[in-house]
Amino acid sequence: MKKRFTFILLIAIVLLANMSLVSADMHGWWADAAAPYAGATIRGVSESTPPSNYVADVLAAQFTELTGINVEFETTSWDQMYSKAINDMEANTGIYDFVYIEQDIIYSYLAQDYLVNLTQFAADNPDLAYEGYDESAFTSFADYFKNADGDLFGVPMEAFVKVYLYRKDLFEDADIMAAFEEEYGYPLAPAENFDQYRDNAMFFTAYGENMDMDLWGTTVQGSTGHPASTYEFLESIGPSFGLYNWGINLDAGSAMSANGGALDGDTAVEALTFWLSMLPYAPPEATSSTWDEVASSFAAGRAAQGWVYGENAAWIATDDSRSAVTGNVGVRLPVTAPGVIEAAEMGDGYIGYYDGGAFGVPHSSRNKEATLLWLQFIGQQSVQAEWAAAGARITHTATFDDPLIAEQDAKVDGYYTLLEEQGPLFAGAPPFPFHAQVREVIDPFIQRAILGELSPADALSQAAAAVDEELSRLGYGM
Amino acid sequence: MTISFRQRAWRLFVTYGFWIFTTIVTLLPIWWMFVVSMRSRVELFGRPNLSLSRFFVENYTNVLTDSTFQRYMTNSVVVSTSNALLVMVLALLATYALSRYKLTGRDNIFFWLITNRMAPPAAFLLPLYIMFTRTFRLGDWTLYDTQIGLILLYCVFNLPFAIWLLKGVIDGIPIELDDAAMIDGAGLWGVLRHVIVPLAAPGLAVTGILSWVFAWNEYLFAANLTSVQARTITTGLAEFVTVTGTNWGELAAMSMLTLIPSAIIVILAQRYIVMGLTFGAVKE
Amino acid sequence: MRNPRTGWLLLSPTLIILLLFGFAPFLYVLFVGFNQWNVFSADDGLVFNGLDNFRRLVFDDDFLHSVGLTARFAIFAIGSEVVLGFVLAQMLTRNFPGKSLFRIIHTLPLMVAPIAVGAIWRLLVIPGFGPVPFFLDRWFDLKYQIGSYPDQALWTSVIMDVWHWTPFVTLTMLAGLSAIPKEPVEQARVDGANRFQVFWYVTLPFLRPVLLTTVFIRIMDAIRTVDEVWMLAGGGPGTRFTGIYIWRVVFPRTDYGYGSSISLITLYLTIVLCWLLFIAISGRRKGEVE
Repeated sequence: MKKRFTFILLIAIVLLANMSLVSADMHGWWADAAAPYAGATIRGVSESTPPSNYVADVLAAQFTELTGINVEFETTSWDQMYSKAINDMEANTGIYDFVYIEQDIIYSYLAQDYLVNLTQFAADNPDLAYEGYDESAFTSFADYFKNADGDLFGVPMEAFVKVYLYRKDLFEDADIMAAFEEEYGYPLAPAENFDQYRDNAMFFTAYGENMDMDLWGTTVQGSTGHPASTYEFLESIGPSFGLYNWGINLDAGSAMSANGGALDGDTAVEALTFWLSMLPYAPPEATSSTWDEVASSFAAGRAAQGWVYGENAAWIATDDSRSAVTGNVGVRLPVTAPGVIEAAEMGDGYIGYYDGGAFGVPHSSRNKEATLLWLQFIGQQSVQAEWAAAGARITHTATFDDPLIAEQDAKVDGYYTLLEEQGPLFAGAPPFPFHAQVREVIDPFIQRAILGELSPADALSQAAAAVDEELSRLGYGM
Repeated sequence: MTISFRQRAWRLFVTYGFWIFTTIVTLLPIWWMFVVSMRSRVELFGRPNLSLSRFFVENYTNVLTDSTFQRYMTNSVVVSTSNALLVMVLALLATYALSRYKLTGRDNIFFWLITNRMAPPAAFLLPLYIMFTRTFRLGDWTLYDTQIGLILLYCVFNLPFAIWLLKGVIDGIPIELDDAAMIDGAGLWGVLRHVIVPLAAPGLAVTGILSWVFAWNEYLFAANLTSVQARTITTGLAEFVTVTGTNWGELAAMSMLTLIPSAIIVILAQRYIVMGLTFGAVKE
Repeated sequence: MRNPRTGWLLLSPTLIILLLFGFAPFLYVLFVGFNQWNVFSADDGLVFNGLDNFRRLVFDDDFLHSVGLTARFAIFAIGSEVVLGFVLAQMLTRNFPGKSLFRIIHTLPLMVAPIAVGAIWRLLVIPGFGPVPFFLDRWFDLKYQIGSYPDQALWTSVIMDVWHWTPFVTLTMLAGLSAIPKEPVEQARVDGANRFQVFWYVTLPFLRPVLLTTVFIRIMDAIRTVDEVWMLAGGGPGTRFTGIYIWRVVFPRTDYGYGSSISLITLYLTIVLCWLLFIAISGRRKGEVE
């Protein structure tokens, strides 16, 4: 008995020695750097999305194995995520060591000084700075998480653009093409301007009705019970007409044209009018649709074309278990008004929303060192490609060239190429030190416009007035 | 004779017609939830079909094999059971005190107790959050993300309800019975155990069941005052709603699974509700 | 014989828990309600602003609208629940084969978590995968879209609430009905009272405490409803009830000061409403006894 025990012990020692030899080459740095924090637990909060789930299920386990630091992940719904992170940071409770920062809220967090300057923190703790992690390897999306000095406050973990999706099987069907050309006098094609968009929408809605199919001409993210509708208008439709920064002039502290704002201006009214005119050509669920329901409608084959967030492009195009239109998804830049693309190329405006998020460390965290290691781990080059394949998100320039992504790119009609090449034409949310506050104020007016209770012009002028009131209440007004 | 037979047949027809109709209305949403839970994500699309096409159990196996789900379920069971027991005991004592003792400002206290259930939860979450994370703190331990925190907090909306429900029951027990027991030498606990509890049993049972159900179903507090360890099953439901599509199949499967424990409780509790039927006779 | 001190002792655990978790937060809300406080404002501290928040809410159309909607929701939902619950309970006091099965079935909706109730009803009524709009359109040519018609959203939440909470009313009514002694009912029958008279003069007075309790609990809960309606319709124009409005002001908008003052007013209105109801009903009973 005793002999056997000694024997097992011996084997164990040999094995352990062996393992440590192997890891000395590959993982030595992580183990050494993490030695003081081994056994600690760091906690984070994120929305339950495929990229987050990959972090929680795969990367966290790898990291724990390397370092002995446990990662606890709280995944929750979109509304919950904000309130929980804000409560924690505002009350300085230190529940979370890292929080998900959606691009549009970063300026609010920075204005309140909630977040640790990661660049600075790594510089102050050279022992913790991993050489395989390089801030310059990120795409330009990382710029949204930097301050004026170029210091990073969040490690980007996902990034997408909202694109124009269309059904290739419908747009390339010979009979349909002939019917369209006969009716409208020009060939059927993915929309490049708003008139064409409207023609396509009208045509396919009528086509669906005639063929007794559940098919409509466009998606509209028009939920009357959710901020998603306001977001689609302000961040996708508005910019494509040339309405930028929600029509708010922060310097003047106003959204009214009279004071240098644009929310009640002609461009805004034109954009809203166009968008609302698409409602009759959208599936009946459009007025209840948030972003995920728009994606589901498109995946169900209920819309011929539409504005869909890029994180959905990959699964709609490839995942049989969730999508009925796999292999038939075309991806293009969203439709824009004349001159908008040119202006965006000059750096004068943008054509749509560059969406995504990063992980940052709140000042209230009590395990900043361990968390810094963790963020460098998920921010390093070597984990990116598989993560991108699993979650359809790209945050590093080098990931675009990875064979895994090149293979996926072909399946999603060049979505990743579009993200790489045309990504800079898109922009994140405007750099306001408030975000949800003003959006909440605009919401009811957009919703009432969707319901037809207010005309586009009335809705926007009332919204602009309400925004001004809220701005002055927040102390950013005139 | 024939007329009375016809009348009886008619009455039978109306009774069962009524029950069958209300049963269909009651069960339709639950049936639909079951149908959805038996469908894959892509099958949900297309024209609605109320019939069950096949047994697709993947939604259930996915949920059941998830260790997170198991933890949520355990938490929910522990929290709602402990809360229901605590509420039953405290409410019994409190109601007995309010019913039998001449306490200064008794009616006002009673009404104040009730007002605790009236508070709109949203604004009260912030102070509760601060209390849970900072006020009640022992070293590194806080009430936040603990089962005991939820168990105590749920008393805020369950106790007023339980006290109000029991008030009628205990007021209905003649005080002479207490006095008789006391003359026989019973102390306070004796009276409670041998007079009040047996007579109020059906009322207590209903109180316990409903408290259990309210605690089991609570979402807002659980979502905001727990993080990882003490999360309950209702907060898990909200996680299926994501940016890249709501996983309705798994959400429905999980809803069905959360329904099972409560349904079992109701079926078991039928006996007590039947006992409640004889309650009136006791008073004679 | 009964020492009040023992009474207080029995009451004390309840009082302590409610003071800690109910009254202390209330004091905090009361304090914040008189301040301007939004963490994302330029000056993010608490600033005492007296009655400004309350002045603001009197002219806040969204708030006033939400109160109106909540009132309509509560009246229609609770009214239907009481009537339906009473009928069901009355039917359940009779003996017939299959009774306990029906009783179990009619208790089931109560067991479904509100957030799941909202999810199920959303699945039922959203065009695209919901059977309700599909069959309404096919059979009756009705256009049913809760996103496009606020009234439909309101009625859907009323029906959903009735579906969910009628079992609760049935249960309490059943308990109340079964607690009624048989003698007075039989006596009244012997005296030649018809069914309605028995109901009105015997059953109802006995049922009053239970009825009162049930209605009060339903009023309190209906006014604070958030989860179900949130899940169903997100609190759009037809369903932006006060509970949801407060939620939106406090959380996405982080306007803690204003949100607290709305909560206080809502709480105050609820209390007043319950008092009035309490006095009205107990006063009428006294009149009848005489």
